[in-house]
Amino acid sequence: MAEDMSIQSYLSQGGKLTNPTNVPPRYRAELMKIMATFVDSELAGAAGFADVINAAPGIKERIAAAKIVLEKTDNAGQVLRLLGEFGADTARYANSHPWTARLPRNAPVGSSRSEHDMRLSVLNYPLDGWVDAVVMNLSMGLAVGVQLDELTRISYQPLAETIRGIAPVEARHVELAEEGLARLIEQEKTPELTVSLEYWRPRVAAIFGEASSGRFEQLSGWGLRHRSNAALLQDWNDRMDAALTRLGLTG
Amino acid sequence: MARFHQLAVTDVRKTIRDAVVVSLKPVNGGEFDFTQGQYLTFRRDFDGTELRRSYSICAAKGDGLLQVGIKKVDGGAFSTWANEDLKPGDTLEAMSPMGSFFTPIDAAQARNYLAFAGGSGITPVLSILKTTLAAEPHSTFTLVYANRGVNTIMFREELEDLKNTHMGRLTVIHILESDAQDIDLFTGRVDQDKCAALFRHWIDISSIDTAFICGPEPMMLGIAAALRDHGLADDQIKFELFASAQPGRLARKASATSAAGQAKTTQASVTLDGSARSFTMDKDQTILDAALGNAIDAPYACKAGVCSTCRCKVLEGEVEMVANHALEDYEVQRGYVLSCQSFPVTDRVVVDYDQ
Repeated sequence: MAEDMSIQSYLSQGGKLTNPTNVPPRYRAELMKIMATFVDSELAGAAGFADVINAAPGIKERIAAAKIVLEKTDNAGQVLRLLGEFGADTARYANSHPWTARLPRNAPVGSSRSEHDMRLSVLNYPLDGWVDAVVMNLSMGLAVGVQLDELTRISYQPLAETIRGIAPVEARHVELAEEGLARLIEQEKTPELTVSLEYWRPRVAAIFGEASSGRFEQLSGWGLRHRSNAALLQDWNDRMDAALTRLGLTG
Repeated sequence: MARFHQLAVTDVRKTIRDAVVVSLKPVNGGEFDFTQGQYLTFRRDFDGTELRRSYSICAAKGDGLLQVGIKKVDGGAFSTWANEDLKPGDTLEAMSPMGSFFTPIDAAQARNYLAFAGGSGITPVLSILKTTLAAEPHSTFTLVYANRGVNTIMFREELEDLKNTHMGRLTVIHILESDAQDIDLFTGRVDQDKCAALFRHWIDISSIDTAFICGPEPMMLGIAAALRDHGLADDQIKFELFASAQPGRLARKASATSAAGQAKTTQASVTLDGSARSFTMDKDQTILDAALGNAIDAPYACKAGVCSTCRCKVLEGEVEMVANHALEDYEVQRGYVLSCQSFPVTDRVVVDYDQ
């Protein structure tokens, strides 16, 4: 049975790695960056949303916001556990950065706050009240959905399996956002909501990176990526347009 | 962080000429309650160098026993030692069981499982099938077991016994690479075509709920492709790979001793993705920051010495690592450092992110 095959060739043909001892050094580093980006983004996202609980206009909305904070923190914990299997000190990690820190609201699109955590750039911008938070949650939630679809195919099986468990939870957050927006539209908040959409849409779009990224070839050769940045961005734009159409917000 | 616990060896039994089944008992605690299909990671010092190897548990969850199968690998220091020198009364060090090569057991469900094992890849599969047959009385299990020849089949008799114990619920198909069998289909390698033929004549793939695969890389690819061709989704296929690229050979120790320099700068050479780049850097800068400053796309995440994404190996010269919350002693001993926490000490430093 001992037919020799390099890990590189195994991965390029769609092979899966199943535990930290399988993993070659450079693959390990790129995988850990992907996991750290997920953990930092969930923790920063949850930290930002925690304040929103108090901005919620009613009991239902408070529960929705609290649920989102709880579940995003739990999702971060699940992936952090995998980082721990590679040696990361999970207890220190959870408190290693100020997750609530944000840039000023008017910082230019695509800014990065600090070199010290790996959150997606959109999570550097502060939320501005309830309507803004719901709009951000819908826009970003749909983007997270696109990114998670990509991660469920990743060649590191323990992460792919964890993400398959997380994806439906995140999808529910988007549903909550859409329900919230529908209520806000009934309450004639459409003008406010349109302003927020204009603010968040380019900032969320920026997380998909440059259309042609030099890293993509290497990452896809390892099975860490499957679809290009441009394809992911297009997918997100389509999902956004579909959601806005459902809400009657197009035009 | 990884914690090791002591396990007493209570029995060492040969299954075939070059594989042993080792029974173990925790000495002073540690969590060794495992789930079927999980593995143990052992460590042992060989001539001053620590080696770590992972071996799957082959016992069933309900056996009340901790047992691993260890097949001797050519040139493998740990497996050779386990096969030749390990005896009852010895002590081993291992981490708590890890791995997610299993699906939850539910006594009420009636499921059809299919597993593929190549050679010593049988160890976790045996644990899964024994556990499942005992704990899910309405489920069935089909095992396709690939080996070179009859005399290299691990747990052959145990599998026969299981077929008798769980009459009609366990099917075992032996595929032998070099020994001829009555049915031509059962000779050769288990690849995509072989699987397709098995699915045509012997296995009703449409009835299968979950498939498990444990074996060498090419076998895993061929089987996974065949399963997908026949309609199984990714979340119905569970893999366990103990890659041949995880060498048990003793590596040479990195020699990194030269007198500490006096200069304020260091000549640094950094290898990433196969290409080496040299530059001059200040000694009060970290290796990571200097690499990033020289347009090298070095990996990092936390920059706080916590996550170990930025790990690299020092091949020449010395660095001082000011914080380390992620690397273990044996990694440091081998020359690994966290580049986000490491400042050059010598006038020349050579590091490699590819090792």
